[in-house]
Amino acid sequence: MSTSIVVIALFLGVFFGFALNKAGLTKYHKIVNVFRLTDLAVLKFMMTALIVSMSGLYLLRGLGLVTFPTIPATYIAGNVIGGLIFGVGMALSGFCPGTCAAGAGEGKLDYIVPGLFGFLVGAALYGLTYQYVFPAISAIANVGNVVIPDLWNLSPFLVVLFFTLMSLFLFYLIDRAGLHRTDRG
Amino acid sequence: MKPIMAYIRRDEWSPYVAGILLGIVGVLAVWLSNSLLGASGAFETMAGMIGKALSPELFNTMYFNYIMPPEITSGVILLIGIFFGGMLGAATSGTLKWGKKDAANSDAQWKQIFGQQTWKRWAVAFVGAIILEYAAGIAGGCTSGLAISGGMLLAPAAFLFIAGMFASGIITAMIVYRKRY
Repeated sequence: MSTSIVVIALFLGVFFGFALNKAGLTKYHKIVNVFRLTDLAVLKFMMTALIVSMSGLYLLRGLGLVTFPTIPATYIAGNVIGGLIFGVGMALSGFCPGTCAAGAGEGKLDYIVPGLFGFLVGAALYGLTYQYVFPAISAIANVGNVVIPDLWNLSPFLVVLFFTLMSLFLFYLIDRAGLHRTDRG
Repeated sequence: MKPIMAYIRRDEWSPYVAGILLGIVGVLAVWLSNSLLGASGAFETMAGMIGKALSPELFNTMYFNYIMPPEITSGVILLIGIFFGGMLGAATSGTLKWGKKDAANSDAQWKQIFGQQTWKRWAVAFVGAIILEYAAGIAGGCTSGLAISGGMLLAPAAFLFIAGMFASGIITAMIVYRKRY
């Protein structure tokens, strides 16, 4: 690994962790309350990040300034089942792998000890059972490393525009029309 | 300059402002290093390294030899960066927990609902972390590596993952909070 790759990865990671901290995602209640639908900051944060990054990336690619890295693979059953199991862990712990690393940096012992150690145990369990689980599940409804515009033959511009308008409408509903539950404690 | 510094020092930003920052970081990851953000993969790499040191035979598998070989990857460096980024964020708002009394059970809402005992928080967090990492393996990434990184490239996988995550997260929160949901 070259020095420049190390410096870039460190730089990206610091700003990533900083954003997670400032968005409040390194707090148990922020994560859990999005699932209680009483505080939708996590949703606003994620959708805003997606609008900015998808607009930026498709613009830069249109200008010929970037090529995309390997697209995360779509295998419908595995993506959904993985997401379903993931949500259970997230609602229980109030963190995910990225926010736990950032919260650990803040000095939170419940992130450093059971959090980081739990991820290592989970990673070992996954790696050791990989051959019994992953090949089978990723073979179901596998459409490969595709993106929506190519899959459905749509203009990327329209897909990004649709996502942006849908998100802005949702933000309007949440912030102006009060589309969230109230915490009755 | 002063209002900007004051905003940086705030404990919590508008999720829209923080989201814009994360979006820019996502673009820069592709632009500067043709890579994606992620976190769960780095734990797989490190688990392989530690596992191979403790029990070389058990961890002598195809997965830990070839898919996640035991070497420091840029993902591991990124994860170290996230750690220091969280530290920097909390330092600017004076909310670092290092050496503080409430560092072991860090959230007021948790204590209000489930009590003061640290062991309870740690047990649930530990089980939750194992579930999270295993699920990220099956799904092909976590909130950063799949939901954000896949979503910004418009990969269907990301949106399937997000839908599953919210559906089960809501149900789990209902079960855990019961009447207080």
